Amino acid sequence: MQIATIRGESRKAGGRKGNRRVRRAGLLPGVIYGHGEAPETVSLSLHDTLIALEHQQHVINLVTDGKKSQYLLKDVQYDHLQKTPIHVDLMRVDPNERVHVKVPVELKGTPKGAHEGGVLVHVLTAIDVDCPLVQIPESIIKNIAHLALSESLHVGDLEFPDNVKPLHKPEDIVAVVRAKRGVSLDEEEGEAAVATEGGGDEPQVIGRRAKDESEAAGGA
Amino acid sequence: MPANMPKRVKWRKCQKGRNRGNASRGNTVAFGDFGLQSTQLGRVNARHIEAGRVAATHFLQREGRVYIRLFPHKPISGKPLETRMGKGKGETAYWTALVKPGTVMYEIAGVDEEVAKEAMLRIAHKMPVKTRFVARRHSL
Repeated sequence: MQIATIRGESRKAGGRKGNRRVRRAGLLPGVIYGHGEAPETVSLSLHDTLIALEHQQHVINLVTDGKKSQYLLKDVQYDHLQKTPIHVDLMRVDPNERVHVKVPVELKGTPKGAHEGGVLVHVLTAIDVDCPLVQIPESIIKNIAHLALSESLHVGDLEFPDNVKPLHKPEDIVAVVRAKRGVSLDEEEGEAAVATEGGGDEPQVIGRRAKDESEAAGGA
Repeated sequence: MPANMPKRVKWRKCQKGRNRGNASRGNTVAFGDFGLQSTQLGRVNARHIEAGRVAATHFLQREGRVYIRLFPHKPISGKPLETRMGKGKGETAYWTALVKPGTVMYEIAGVDEEVAKEAMLRIAHKMPVKTRFVARRHSL
């Protein structure tokens, strides 16, 4: 497991305005918490953090004021376009400690059902696991070439390294090969044309019929 | 038949309102592998949504799966041509969805990135807002 190093510096907790000031200086505001100690606020190098996130690393080494410590990347907040990180949560961890993290599930191969007219739906793209900090798997890889039409892959079918326990139920669905709808493209497009022409009918107004009936009864 | 308006509504017409700010929800790729995200504020009406769907389905030839993350909930009323002002609010002319910068409007699953990019480009040409192609991000 590779561990990225992020340069940072401790800072005073400044709230929203303080965080904005940090971002304007080209840094990334963050908070360190856990192990029952008081939370600390830090500013991290945006460049280093982006590299760590790009490599999907869960554990990082943070160098602040000449000291190097290991933390778990607990949460990252992004801007509205999900482009730039705006805040990072770091958790204090012990190297022997077990942690809960999300690990991506990689499906290899083309399922048999895809050749029979099915489409693969990847339901669970990341799986929650409980594992020691030093043994976080990069991904869970599974070959799905054997999956036929309407068959599904469950959490119980995945192979996990030793010491890594899934937090999902074994019967939870990871991926399924679903049959495509039996409509030809022309029919679909024909329907679309009908649907878009003139806007179609008015939607039903909730409670209107009851009101009209009561008015009619009152008038009579 | 694809839905292009609500089936049931509480009120037939609504006020114009204001569309402001950025998307704080619905701004991540949630169902598919790739998405088309709006970078502008705007209204995407039922015809745009349907045109985008048809463009993608036609290009993909029923490969993969297209998810539409928009629904036209808002009725927009209009007066007929050559009508004098007054006499109350016009009838509903069309239905629209309000989008904000960050809203993920379409998603595609089960195809390669190049194919998804081309399909999204075709949808983007039908959209009244500027868009960007996004991929699913690994969560921590």
